[in-house]
Amino acid sequence: MAPYTNIPLSPAELSYLQTSLSATPPIRPDGRSPTQFRPLVAEADILPSANGSARVCFSDGTEAVVGIKAEVERTGRADVFREGESEGEDVNATGEGKGRNEWLEVAIDVPGLRDDDALPVFLGAMLSEALGADGALRDRLWINARFHWRLYVDILLLSPPLSYPLPLLSLTTHLALLNTRLPALLSQGDEDPLFNDDWDASTHLYPRPSKPSPATQKPPITLLVTTTGPNILFDPSRDELAVAESVLAVSAAPTASGSLSVVAIRSVDPPSRLTAAGVPREINSASGATATASAGEVLAAREKDEGRGVWRAPRGGVGRKVVAEVVKMVVAKGGVGEEVLAGLEGVET
Amino acid sequence: MPREAEPSNNAKAFLLQALRENVRLDGRAFDEFRQIDLSFGDEYGVATARLGKTKVMVRVSSEVVKASADRKFDGVFTISTELSPIASPAFEVGRQDQAEVLLSRILEKTIRRSGALDTESLCIIAGQKCFHVRADVHVLDHDGSLVDASCLALVAALMHYRRPDFEVRGEEVQIFDPREREPIKLSMQHQPFCVTFGYYEDGSVMLLDSTLLEEQCREGEVMISMNRFGEICQIAKYSGEPVDAMSVLNCMNVALEKVKVFDKLVKAKLEEDEKRRDVGGLMAELSAENAR
Amino acid sequence: MPLDTSTYILAHLRLDGRRWNELRRLQAQMSTQAAADGSSYFEMGNTKIICTVAGPQEQKSGGGGRSQQDKAKIEVEVNFAGFSGMDRKKRARSDKRTSEMQHTIASAFESTLLTHLFPHSTITLNLHILSQDGSLLAACLNAATLALVDAGIPMTDYISATTVATTASYADKEEEADPLLDLNGLEEQELPFLTIASSGGEDRVCSLVLETKVHMARLEPMISVGLDGCSQIRGILDGVIRAHGRKVLEGKVG
Repeated sequence: MAPYTNIPLSPAELSYLQTSLSATPPIRPDGRSPTQFRPLVAEADILPSANGSARVCFSDGTEAVVGIKAEVERTGRADVFREGESEGEDVNATGEGKGRNEWLEVAIDVPGLRDDDALPVFLGAMLSEALGADGALRDRLWINARFHWRLYVDILLLSPPLSYPLPLLSLTTHLALLNTRLPALLSQGDEDPLFNDDWDASTHLYPRPSKPSPATQKPPITLLVTTTGPNILFDPSRDELAVAESVLAVSAAPTASGSLSVVAIRSVDPPSRLTAAGVPREINSASGATATASAGEVLAAREKDEGRGVWRAPRGGVGRKVVAEVVKMVVAKGGVGEEVLAGLEGVET
Repeated sequence: MPREAEPSNNAKAFLLQALRENVRLDGRAFDEFRQIDLSFGDEYGVATARLGKTKVMVRVSSEVVKASADRKFDGVFTISTELSPIASPAFEVGRQDQAEVLLSRILEKTIRRSGALDTESLCIIAGQKCFHVRADVHVLDHDGSLVDASCLALVAALMHYRRPDFEVRGEEVQIFDPREREPIKLSMQHQPFCVTFGYYEDGSVMLLDSTLLEEQCREGEVMISMNRFGEICQIAKYSGEPVDAMSVLNCMNVALEKVKVFDKLVKAKLEEDEKRRDVGGLMAELSAENAR
Repeated sequence: MPLDTSTYILAHLRLDGRRWNELRRLQAQMSTQAAADGSSYFEMGNTKIICTVAGPQEQKSGGGGRSQQDKAKIEVEVNFAGFSGMDRKKRARSDKRTSEMQHTIASAFESTLLTHLFPHSTITLNLHILSQDGSLLAACLNAATLALVDAGIPMTDYISATTVATTASYADKEEEADPLLDLNGLEEQELPFLTIASSGGEDRVCSLVLETKVHMARLEPMISVGLDGCSQIRGILDGVIRAHGRKVLEGKVG
């Protein structure tokens, strides 16, 4: 069992949390507004030996480091043949549409968990899915018909996974990719690639315009959104996750037109599903109820109690309207997604 | 998980008290080894070393394999160690024990990384074929000084081993059966041996060739590997109480003396074994170096 | 791949412009991670390490039933990040070199930490190597010292470690051989070197690991230069710890 699912809260505490989070407006334990993020510490370009790197610390103490390394690799023979055919009609040398998702490798290391444990595998799938959905990235790895860059994204969680580490890892990866630089190509056409060894002349993987414009290409970000009652909460803390009725991981990336679009969305099994339910007072022998109720009676009493304050694990499922609302909040102009992107852009290297 | 039983407090105290009075439990001097016994098997490359009750057998074998792409002119040499329950109930099959990792690392550093075996001589055709020499270290009985005994047995086995002769005709390689042509000795560049010092009483007492009980009571150990020319191949002082730098340097001189003794012993035993095999003095005639 | 360090003989300057007894730039921070009981970030030139300490805490059920119940058990996990070297490489966790390193670090601290104060418990050290450029084991030991101090685990002394090489591996070039302090990755590949850790006062060797062939006559100058380097590093570590302590007292941290 992943560590973040061990919730040390009693049914009464869960019920209290749930009630305050479903109030309008919601009252979060740390006083944030529904869309507000916790403060974080971020650094970029921290490692000399990597093409791009970043470190992010959340205020709850979780910390991640991402290092990105690029290596030149010979494109397989079959690909050369295929691309050789298309070469005739398509003479532009930008590599549009020629990138492949295999050139991007994401590896996640979580302390105490094996590489093939469910959590790192699932997180890795979600992150690479978002990166792969953005076709522009893989096309930029194309050098010429015979060579391509292979991009290794190594994600290192340094702390035990206290809360669901997806947003932490995603933001760190975003920051690292934003600061990834590749050596400038000197050779032309299909020659063996020759690079400028002056690191100052290197180009950013995500090109940076001279003046800030909204249409800049940027790597995607994945945000974790929970719903509790009627409310939608961003950046849930561990306690908030514990009572979430649904958890959604929304990946958004800026498009060429400058607006954000959703590239991937996944629902995550809410940890609250594993909590023990509370017992209604009428049948709780500890609070004076005389007869010990049978299991069936307890269940019936719980059903009757629906919504009256006794904690019960959510049954799951999330309405289409809620999903639509979440997506709107993420990608809207001036919405949460843009705010996060703007925040990360300000990180000094 | 089976584990070596800790000696009782009384046993420990007795041993330490004796050491304070300059007495070892088995009556040896502090820098004295137990009876060293080295014997060879009927086959080439099988050597058994005994240090008191500790017994280690090493078997060297070879086969022809494809050369690795990044080391075209080198053969392959691997050392594998196995600590099985036969040596001590504390060892388990299949589990990577800390002791085993350390033993194999020390042997690796002493013999492989120091270039004791000339791997270039194992190359048959550059980039294509080479010999893979494999040394299997089997610990048969464990009563302390495992590393020293294993190292001794391993070096002796390597010096004893003879690989099959071969002939290259263009691309074709013919490997000769030992019955067709007399096999050839491996080319060794030097013979390193390992000497382990156990220390007690804040480094004032240094013991050579500790028994298991002495190992369990010691404060720390220094493992030194060197050859008879005084070239150190490896020093490992992983743990234990800090000791004076001077006493570490003193260990070097003691180690050199002991290594010279080991070196002589191995060579004498090899000569003895050769004589035993050389029935009727036919060996010189069979040598591959003779004109055909 | 052999490099050419023969220029050293001419100018007595090393590849990166240092003299024989100069350390690289050393930087360290403590309490870098709020979630850990103790943490540190340590940088020796381009070797960068993050260390976190968990514990002393209750022994995990999986590793329970050990006989060492009267004192705390020290567990070390060394993790090489895939991007730490020149080429991207993932090192298996069961690698023997890594487990030897883990053993060295764990047993080095067994003698300086007052483990008998925490019976039935475990102290776990996690070392993340973010960037490797020589003197790895030494940097790990230094980083671990800082993190253990941050975790507030009582110890008799700091462990400070460094590496020393010699420019000649054989005795015939005796006069020209110089010991070199604190190696970077390139020097480490070419020269015989040893890692030395000191604690418990001057001239006390806590761990000593040598893996390359060198003549015994060269050893004495190497060890004495190494011990000198250790005491320099000790001074730097002490400075970092005191500065951190002052900050904590002033309420700026934690």
